[in-house]
Amino acid sequence: MRCRRSLLASVALLVLGVTGCATVPSGGRVISGRPAESAEQADDPYVRLIPVRPKAEWGPGQLVAGFLAASAGFDDGHKVAREYLAGGASSWNPGPRPSVTVFDDRPRLEVAEQGTGRAVVRASGSRLGSIGADGQYLADPDAVEVTFELTKTASGPWRITGLPDAAHNGLLLSKSDVERAFRTVNLYFFAAGRPALVPNGVFLPLVNRQNLPAQLVRALLEGPTSWLGPAVESAFPSGTRLRRIGLENDVIVVDLTAEARGGSAERMSAQLSWTLRQLSELGRWKLQIDGRTVTPNGSGSVQAVRSWSANAPDGPGSDEGRGDQAAYVVGSSGHLSRLAGDQPQPIDSGEQRLARPAVSGDFQEVAGLSSSGDRVLAGPLTATGAQVRALLTRRDDRTRFTAPHFDRDGTLWTVETSRDRSWLWMRPRGQAPVRVSQWGLAGREILAFRLSRDGARAAVIARVDGSAQVQLGRIVRDKGGGTEAGSFLPVSSELVDAIDLSWRDYGTLAVLGRKGNDTRVLPYLIPVSGGAISSLGVGALGVPRTIAAAPGAPVLIGTRDNGSGGQVCRQRAPRDLLSEWICPIPGSDPTYPH
Amino acid sequence: MNAARRAAGAVPAALRRLVRGGYARWRRSIQVRVVTSTLCISAIVVAILGAFLTQQMSNALMDGKVKAARLQLDEGLSLVQRDLGSQPDNGSRLDNVMAGLKARSGPSGLYEVYIRDTRDSSFDGYSTNELRVESIPQRLRQELGDGPADATAYTFGKLSYVGRPSERGLIVGGKTGQFELYYLFPLTQDQHTLTIVSRALAGVGVVLVLLLAAIASLVTRQVVIPVRLAAQGAQRLSAGKLEERMRVRGEDDLARLARSFNEMAANLQDKIMELEDLSQVQRQFVSDVSHELRTPLTTIRIAADMLYEHRDTFDDPAVGRSAELLQSQLERFESLLADLLEISRHDAGAATLDADPLDMRDLVLRAVGDIQNLAERKGSKVLLQLPGEPCMAEVDRRRVERIMRNLLVNAVEHGEGEDIVVSVGADRDAVAVAVRDHGVGLRPGEGQMVFDRFWRADPARARTTGGTGLGLSISREDAQLHGGWLQAWGEPGAGSQFRLSLPRVAGSELRGSPLPLVPPGAGGRPLFAELEVSE
Repeated sequence: MRCRRSLLASVALLVLGVTGCATVPSGGRVISGRPAESAEQADDPYVRLIPVRPKAEWGPGQLVAGFLAASAGFDDGHKVAREYLAGGASSWNPGPRPSVTVFDDRPRLEVAEQGTGRAVVRASGSRLGSIGADGQYLADPDAVEVTFELTKTASGPWRITGLPDAAHNGLLLSKSDVERAFRTVNLYFFAAGRPALVPNGVFLPLVNRQNLPAQLVRALLEGPTSWLGPAVESAFPSGTRLRRIGLENDVIVVDLTAEARGGSAERMSAQLSWTLRQLSELGRWKLQIDGRTVTPNGSGSVQAVRSWSANAPDGPGSDEGRGDQAAYVVGSSGHLSRLAGDQPQPIDSGEQRLARPAVSGDFQEVAGLSSSGDRVLAGPLTATGAQVRALLTRRDDRTRFTAPHFDRDGTLWTVETSRDRSWLWMRPRGQAPVRVSQWGLAGREILAFRLSRDGARAAVIARVDGSAQVQLGRIVRDKGGGTEAGSFLPVSSELVDAIDLSWRDYGTLAVLGRKGNDTRVLPYLIPVSGGAISSLGVGALGVPRTIAAAPGAPVLIGTRDNGSGGQVCRQRAPRDLLSEWICPIPGSDPTYPH
Repeated sequence: MNAARRAAGAVPAALRRLVRGGYARWRRSIQVRVVTSTLCISAIVVAILGAFLTQQMSNALMDGKVKAARLQLDEGLSLVQRDLGSQPDNGSRLDNVMAGLKARSGPSGLYEVYIRDTRDSSFDGYSTNELRVESIPQRLRQELGDGPADATAYTFGKLSYVGRPSERGLIVGGKTGQFELYYLFPLTQDQHTLTIVSRALAGVGVVLVLLLAAIASLVTRQVVIPVRLAAQGAQRLSAGKLEERMRVRGEDDLARLARSFNEMAANLQDKIMELEDLSQVQRQFVSDVSHELRTPLTTIRIAADMLYEHRDTFDDPAVGRSAELLQSQLERFESLLADLLEISRHDAGAATLDADPLDMRDLVLRAVGDIQNLAERKGSKVLLQLPGEPCMAEVDRRRVERIMRNLLVNAVEHGEGEDIVVSVGADRDAVAVAVRDHGVGLRPGEGQMVFDRFWRADPARARTTGGTGLGLSISREDAQLHGGWLQAWGEPGAGSQFRLSLPRVAGSELRGSPLPLVPPGAGGRPLFAELEVSE
């Protein structure tokens, strides 16, 4: 009887097990998930180079090649790379944020001398630029040649005894090494005197994703790069350091040293939140100063990384998709029109015909160029219409104006340019236009000039050596009212001919341009941090002339036929990067209020 | 400290008590035994099944994983082959391939990838994320290195990482041209699944085992309770309550048991009653015969007395001899009849105790005085060992005197002229008298037989000599009437000893005797051990 019971038990257990395992649902209701993040996150998967330790039978050339390869492996503080150095390995310490000389490719190596106990290896290659210890990339193309000195050690194998200057406290890496081992991340600082945060793209070596939050916060505390530095300010008092960063109940705790008490908790939290939101796995975090939790006004002690949208670089709330902005075009009749759906609603702008119009962010003012481009027109925008009059007139017939635009304060900006000179004009609201005296591109022809929405950066298309290059510069406003626009750096070398640009959002430019060997001008999205550009949409566009973009709004492209008017094109599904272009709107020169 | 030691001692003591109690219950209760066995056996079966199931599940999981991994590897290898071929590489193309492989590695590591160019000695390939290259076991590399050009292989191992703990994983590797490509799948998720499943299995198993034990307990209860009732009934029946019956319920096996039990009880009762009736009839018959014989015996006695008185007047001396013979045999017949009446009274339960507090020493002295003549005639000397203080006991004078006389006469008759020792002993509850002779003694087994009715040590001995053959039987009945014992010890050639033990208070239970049954100094082993006559 007992035996039978056991049998029964085993059968029951078997049935239980089998039925438990064997059922996979074959139907049921649909469960929706969150849309996937398409943008590259700082903690996306990455690739590491695995260095090899020097082998005893290697000659000088192989040893240097091995050293250069091993430099690209950041594991354990370049432990393997140090094995290539003789004795004084301890003096060579690239550290967690090394300065890097970026080569186009692995340098060519050539053994210049080889004695019995000593050798010199010459490495030559084309330098693209360098990454400073602060993470700022500076393009500086040049052909360089460096030498390594090697000695045969007593135990037999060769070791490097003399490093070239560039490698003394830095690394010599190829472009692919940098692309693999570094991530461009944004550190957020406040635009001087404004609530808007400004992203500061820096290169951070990616050693270990677990360390990434700490790396980010440390970099943020170290302050902005030398390039953006004068244009922004950090809320962290100088000397603030990171005590600890760690996960507690799914909440990242950022613990700062006591120096941070001198700073504004709200502004520090905003900077940290925006910086940390680049890590996809983080949801909430907590600010501590010297071990004590700080609760900033307007937020709980546990903050969401998605909070502080009032400090968004693109204007309050722009990061939450509240970018439903009305677009304006120049209608087929030549009048400024407001777009309602795909239908332009003309606004009476009097006798003047506006080209390249601009509308201020508060919808109070409108500006534009005269149809011949020789004058900048501006005037108030009211419910009945727009009354524009001439604001600037070109100095002679060799110059012309770029499309004017407003910044968030209502200041109008435009560049007057000739083939070899340019002048930057700004007109604060209610004042007369003034020329910006410190203008870094005075010797170049400027095709487009656009201030970022945070007001601390400016993107330009400048003609350099015959090709129209997209460059990014900083806007520094003195306390005394002086303004400086300078330190322009090329954003991308992939586009060779750019026509027009617009800020899509704080980190992306929408650019009309020609890529490499292409013959057609097409729209592209260019990340200002220097990442890879991506083309926007597919299909025929006619002849694109102007581009307008705004956060969360469809990119609009004004095409112009040879004869009459033209069409404004948009993507059929604006959220899809590769959606087809359609041109249903009669008109030209689209713009978004800025 | 003492208290602590005591407490420490108490724990094992309590444990021991518990174990002993458990063992006692185990021995006594079928239910406990069945439940325990069910628990043990089903626990073992469930454990084996659980292990088997988890093993199966683990195998199935791993099979699926390996299959998926190999597909992934094939895809990766074809990608590598397409993008790199076998042409020499300039570094960046491998980089691009790796970027492609990385992009497919999915969010936060469904797997990690490691690729290696065997011809480029300046570095050891690329790996994704934090993966350390030590994760790829040497044996797998060896296998791939020795294999053909497009070999693939897999193994299980430990994946180690930069800056986080290592975990178990599945490692598949393949070779295409000069490139070795490895995919490393962490098995954390599978381990998690297995843990959940095995935990669930364990829970189900425990519940199942308990359920089985409960079922076993319930089922055995249904069987054990009627069995217990039957046992109780049998006990009561054996204790003499012949009316005891079991309750019959239903028509199952247990009902059949109850019915049979009841039938058995009824039959027993009938038989016992029948036997009782029969023995009653016999006793009555013996009693009646004795009584009926008395009347003619009296007449014969008167006639015989007359003949005996005038025996000298007969001419023929043979007639005179006959008269004497008649007289002696009549006396014997009378005493036999008296003994028969006495024993039938005992058998009928008509014997009553007429107890008075008496000093046993007086009784013994008087009895010895009565047989002094007989003893001297036989040449025996009676030695007395009496305690100094009185040995008071509630006894029936007549019966105890009869016992003493019987024992003393026996001792003298079988004493072969040797000394006879009579000792008296007493303790708190009992008094005892032992009569020791140094005659032929008793053979093994005879110690019990001496008390049988009409038993004779030597069957050849004529009935004419000696007593009636009922003396010791009656004596034992008398001793038992007091609640006492009458026991015999003997050894061939060493004589024998009879011991009478009586409780001081009539009717109270006797626990032991103040005197030993085997006399001190009687060497060798006793013929029979202390045999309680009362039982």
